[in-house]
Amino acid sequence: MTEEPADGQSRPCPSCGKPVWPEDNFCESCRAVLTAPGVTAVGTTPVAPVCPHCQSGSISPDGYCESCGRKMPSGRDHAEIDLGQLAGVTDRGVHHYRNEDALALSATNAAAGPVSIAVVCDGVSGSDRGDEASQVAVEAALTVLEPAVRAGLDEATASTQAVQAAQAAVAGIGGPPESSMAQDAPSATFVSAIITTEAVTVCWLGDSRAYWLADGNPPTGQQLTTDDSLATELVSAGVLSAEEAPESPQAHVVTGWLGADVSDRSARVLRFVPPSAGAVLLCSDGLWNYLPDSADIAARAMPTAQADPLGTARKLVDFALQAGGSDNITVVVAPFPPAASLAANSADPASEPPTQPGARSDDE
Amino acid sequence: MSEQDFTVAVFQNEYLPEGGQDVNAIVTVTSPDSGMTAGPGSADAAEVIIVDCSGSMGTPRAKIAQARAATAAAIDVIRDGVAFAVIAGTHVAVGAYPHGGTLVAASPQTRDEAKRAVAGLQPGGGTAIGQWLAMARELFLRSPAAIRHAILLTDGKDEHETPADLTAEIAACEGLFSCDCRGVGTDWVVSELRRVSTGLLGTVDIVPDPAGLTADFGAMMEKAMGKQVADVRLRVWTPQQATLKFVKQVAPAVDDLTARRTQTGPQAGDYPTGAWGAAESRDYHICVRVPAVGVGQEMLAARVSLVVGDMIAGQGLIRAIWTDDEGLSTRINSEVAHYTGQAELAQAIQDGLEARKRGDEDTATSKLGRAVALAQESGNEGTAKLLAKVVDVVDAATGTVRLKKSVDDADEMALDTRSTVTVRTKK
Repeated sequence: MTEEPADGQSRPCPSCGKPVWPEDNFCESCRAVLTAPGVTAVGTTPVAPVCPHCQSGSISPDGYCESCGRKMPSGRDHAEIDLGQLAGVTDRGVHHYRNEDALALSATNAAAGPVSIAVVCDGVSGSDRGDEASQVAVEAALTVLEPAVRAGLDEATASTQAVQAAQAAVAGIGGPPESSMAQDAPSATFVSAIITTEAVTVCWLGDSRAYWLADGNPPTGQQLTTDDSLATELVSAGVLSAEEAPESPQAHVVTGWLGADVSDRSARVLRFVPPSAGAVLLCSDGLWNYLPDSADIAARAMPTAQADPLGTARKLVDFALQAGGSDNITVVVAPFPPAASLAANSADPASEPPTQPGARSDDE
Repeated sequence: MSEQDFTVAVFQNEYLPEGGQDVNAIVTVTSPDSGMTAGPGSADAAEVIIVDCSGSMGTPRAKIAQARAATAAAIDVIRDGVAFAVIAGTHVAVGAYPHGGTLVAASPQTRDEAKRAVAGLQPGGGTAIGQWLAMARELFLRSPAAIRHAILLTDGKDEHETPADLTAEIAACEGLFSCDCRGVGTDWVVSELRRVSTGLLGTVDIVPDPAGLTADFGAMMEKAMGKQVADVRLRVWTPQQATLKFVKQVAPAVDDLTARRTQTGPQAGDYPTGAWGAAESRDYHICVRVPAVGVGQEMLAARVSLVVGDMIAGQGLIRAIWTDDEGLSTRINSEVAHYTGQAELAQAIQDGLEARKRGDEDTATSKLGRAVALAQESGNEGTAKLLAKVVDVVDAATGTVRLKKSVDDADEMALDTRSTVTVRTKK
């Protein structure tokens, strides 16, 4: 237990409502990121009091229905974060039994004006604790990025330090439990974006992506990241065409990741100066599987991305769910330039906690 | 988790294919190193040694002499303060020591008195094992001891009562005390003693040569003195509409507990595991059939708890997760596969020996051949050696064997009694 300062200094956690103190980086109850006002992230919410499958009111402390045995949905199955100037949505999808994606967002200020920061990580399937890996990675990265950006560190250096912190956090989880069938060390992909009023700096390792979406008629999209994946390597080696790649069995074999069994690939950083207004979109492969062409993402996102980041992220997640939801889906939408006026709508996050539809129907 | 807790490790492939229903898991339970209870103390244990004194024990003469020596060796191991008694069994049961039909606290003096009484035991009369157990039961009923254990030695068939008499007496003793059984020579009946040892959560073994009794009795009593906590139960919760297909102890030996269930709630039942020593480890194979739900869903297929008195002293979860990833759902868990093989090995030996007795050589050859292959595959060298005394092994890997023309009775009985002994997986 940490020392608790005199009461009165605490405030309710924006995610779960339990008291948190100024020096806390994370809520001790739900693990929401608390590094600065206006910052939150996915945490786990208390289990639903009634089983959505059999209506029993008896739920064990470890989250199973005492009657039908079904695992209770966790807050992480579907979570939304709305910081006004940027927003993100993550969903377990249809075919996976838990959500191994995680995201952390920050709406903050530097000397030059408002800054949006976003991190998305995707636990690599086949590694036993991918959910934990992605969660500690986004937390570690945002813990570094947020103060670095406010202090005026250049964005590329901040990004490199953040991905290193995320790598250390994932490696620190340890191996899979002895009894598990999964043999690989916990691992996760990584993509971050720092969006200032002047430029967008992205940093990535693995196949989670960042896109630039430009306003226009028609709107255009540009993938800023290059996947660390076998498919991408095969395309650049001329073995596969860009059209064949998404269909190939290798499309999802990542060649770079965060984790104890670290790949020889290091994270790449790209600074991009947008030629116009638009939006940055970060996503896990749960979205781009269904929208491999950046023009299609732009067409679906752009009419609303600048004015309604949350609604746009939701719309894209719903699209992936309707298309099959074969993987976890995470989408972050951050308008460029970051609009402080939007941020003002939710300056006090406690008054507007992220929606957590815990008891959505995810039956058969 | 307190240091007095049992550790429970679950080994399984939790991933089921779409529509899959059967969930198999090996649950390894290990008792704490020490201090399981507030120090059981010697007064918390009671021991009864039952020595067959029927007429056949006098032939050869060395048999009764060795039985006396073995009993004396066991008495020497009884700790001070443990309540004990020795029963002389024939067609009736007689208190050989003490004479008053009670238990007496062990001390240097009472151990000496007991050994003198045992030295005077003479063969004569018949065999009624149920009568012996009945006397032990009456002695234990008067004892407040938590850990109650008996050693039963016989050399013959249970002739002077009906099988139903013995069955009824075993049922009356269940849960009251545990009993390790030993058959000396080859005139006793394995299935009879196995009924006693299984019902009373003990072991059964053959001591072909009476000269081996002393060491065996001493070791058995050492083990009994190491027991620290009595009446430990395995509680298994299952979801509604699930069926518990079986609960088997699979290490150190196969013992099917499925029929021993006591319902403890609408969705839970207890299975007896008897008394445990410090740092003792046993494996259980649990198979649950659950209703299939959609891909991507997770269900708790069973919650396995260790119950000591009214306390939950450890628990493990058996899970089911439905997936359309065949790479996950088709993985074979090595522990489950290993113990499925060990249980099949025990069954194949018993079926094979049974067929051999009936004169059905084809079935005997095929079953014992299968047993040889399973023993080889799993590295169960003890059982492989015993099998090689009953069959000529042509090719162990394929289980090609020929029945031996003449087999020593002791070898056949040793194979039968030890067929349930398993080996653990190589980790």
